[in-house]
Amino acid sequence: MFIKDVYAISPQRTIDSSFENGDFQLHTTGKMEAIEPNYLEFIPAGQLRRMGKAVRMGIGAGLPLIRRNPNLEGIIIGTANGGLEDCVKFLNQIVEYEEGVLTPTNFVQSTPNAVAGQLAVLSGNRGYNSTHVNGSLAFENALIDAMLVLEKRTTDSSLLVGAVEEISSYNYNIEKLQGHYKKEIIDNSQLLNSSTEGSICGEGATMFVLSNDPHNALAEIVDVAQISFPTDIQLITVVQQLLQKHQLQLKDIDILLQGFNGDNRTKHWYTNLNKEFKNAEVLSFKEYCGEYKTASAFGLFYAIQRLKKTERKVNSSATHVLIHNHFDGKKHGFILLKK
Amino acid sequence: MSKVFITGMGAISSLGTNVSENHTSLRSGKTGIGKAHHFQSAYVATMPFAEIDLSDEQLKNKLSITESGVTRTTLIALHAFKEAIQDAHLSQEDLSDFETGFISSSTVGGMCYTDQLFQDANQSIDASEFIHSYEGSNHTQYISEKYQIKGYTDTINTACSSSANAILVGARLIQTGRAKRVIVGGADCLSKYTVNGFNALRILSESPSRPFDKNRDGLTLGEAAAYLVLEGEETCQNKKKYAELIGFGNANDAFHPSATSDEAFGPIAAMTSALTEAGIHADEIDCINAHGTGTPNNDITESFAFSSVFEKVPPFSSTKSFSGHTLSAAGSLEAIFSILSITHSEVYPSLNCEHPIDEFEFRVTQSLIENRTINKVISNSFGFGGNCTSLIFSACS
Repeated sequence: MFIKDVYAISPQRTIDSSFENGDFQLHTTGKMEAIEPNYLEFIPAGQLRRMGKAVRMGIGAGLPLIRRNPNLEGIIIGTANGGLEDCVKFLNQIVEYEEGVLTPTNFVQSTPNAVAGQLAVLSGNRGYNSTHVNGSLAFENALIDAMLVLEKRTTDSSLLVGAVEEISSYNYNIEKLQGHYKKEIIDNSQLLNSSTEGSICGEGATMFVLSNDPHNALAEIVDVAQISFPTDIQLITVVQQLLQKHQLQLKDIDILLQGFNGDNRTKHWYTNLNKEFKNAEVLSFKEYCGEYKTASAFGLFYAIQRLKKTERKVNSSATHVLIHNHFDGKKHGFILLKK
Repeated sequence: MSKVFITGMGAISSLGTNVSENHTSLRSGKTGIGKAHHFQSAYVATMPFAEIDLSDEQLKNKLSITESGVTRTTLIALHAFKEAIQDAHLSQEDLSDFETGFISSSTVGGMCYTDQLFQDANQSIDASEFIHSYEGSNHTQYISEKYQIKGYTDTINTACSSSANAILVGARLIQTGRAKRVIVGGADCLSKYTVNGFNALRILSESPSRPFDKNRDGLTLGEAAAYLVLEGEETCQNKKKYAELIGFGNANDAFHPSATSDEAFGPIAAMTSALTEAGIHADEIDCINAHGTGTPNNDITESFAFSSVFEKVPPFSSTKSFSGHTLSAAGSLEAIFSILSITHSEVYPSLNCEHPIDEFEFRVTQSLIENRTINKVISNSFGFGGNCTSLIFSACS
């Protein structure tokens, strides 16, 4: 499965070429909010007003790709929470008006499949359509789903596949109460050196055009794997099985991109695994996008940007990248990339 | 490509706490729709619901759950999941095998307790016992952890077609050799969130829903959890097989967030691509488990879709007239009902239809059909966001 096109709305300036050219946006409030494009170029103002942030970012990242790639055969989205801001707004209505007569807008916008559904409506796409909400594996699930769809299609078939997550004051409250974010405020340039509990909250919408056609591809997604509740040994085993399936060994990985998030409680999952990779350059990406359940989609975006700048090694036919991500150590996702 | 067989089933709904009780209710025409006793909402006074007749405490006792923070969605999911894996005789070793998958679905997920969520989302002083339980995938993770499912897990939310898509993805994992067996299905419990959302959209009826009746005026919400065990040929050679999943189709109507187009683009595309996938003609379908919500919009557009796909429309009914609309669980619950049609040679009726829709010459099945060989059933699930999925089950040859 080949990556043909990408678009990211993120806490970095990814809506133009600034991030690619080295720009780094510092976020100092403890919440890394996305830098959004001018949506009015492609979303009618009336519709834009009704959209919550998750839907707006999802549509805003998806539509430019749909315009550039008009023959897409389906839309697959991963999102742990969808439009939680709208969800709690509707909930607050229920409580405030004691289940009286309520307006449905927040309810409709809050359903996690609103992004894939509205992208279908706005682009008239009647193809395969699905939404995965499996917490920190939702994006990896969307990628597997895309592979399952494309394997049945013709050699030039393409899909829009992506992930969306928003920071709302509500999910921030809930996830902070859960202990996922740092008690002290630090900026994102200090994130990886932090030795305390928790991370910094991020958000974004990252979309890809995935295709069976290798022509002009940015990279190939060789495979995707996952494991839940692993032991250290099981985690290595699942990586080895993934690589063996494609005639690769640990030493063949050139770049290991891991989801380091500055949380001292779960860092060991990354460091224990990366010891096994003797030849890999170990990189991180959450200092750019912050921590959220579908941050691995930004990881994939970042990997593509890095691959553009990476020279192929002498005597090597391809550059291999492995992305390893988890949220709280319970579920681990792996994306194997090749260029 | 491996075939996909159903080797285990588990269900809990307003029709009963296991598959056998659900079957008895369907056969005897006993509806699960009535006055809710456990669900707390202002609408209980004015609207019927299809409620599972067990309180949270009773469910916890039945399941020996003692820890806090377990939601009703998770409780009913666990109940049906247990029945399905026992029915398929899956061992602990089978469940923890890297090649065993679990794909669930839910719309309300862990947000079924409105008041606690309100507190946790708006304040940051004291967390409620459900603080870790709100995510849509919470029940999937709870069950995965409890049964140490290490392999592929997923949670799908395509609104009312969610668990039909869970079945579809599970089947593809088996077909492509990515998994040997996958437990698939969904769970949704009655919640203020859903009831108020559907009420705001003005699609709830104040009387039990009347699918395919001329005077239908909305749907009745229900709650259920239903799971099926899908296995490839390799692992189920000597096992009982209820049926084979031979086709599935997924399409988007691309028309409106909460209504189907008059042309029924999505429903027609879902059914026809399922037929193509199965490699059969429409006239080989022996009966249809309709989406049949009882809203004015769904039942007329679905009828139009039948008229386009089938030259002669086979017997069809909406079992939502028994179970209510159980949202994400509807696809897997109705998959089980479709399979019961095959294994028991029966077509279950649609209840409450006094004056069938007369825009078309075909009529919804209004009474139980017995001793009719049913080889192939198509089951429809259409959801908000235009998500349409059809599944075709076949008797095992």
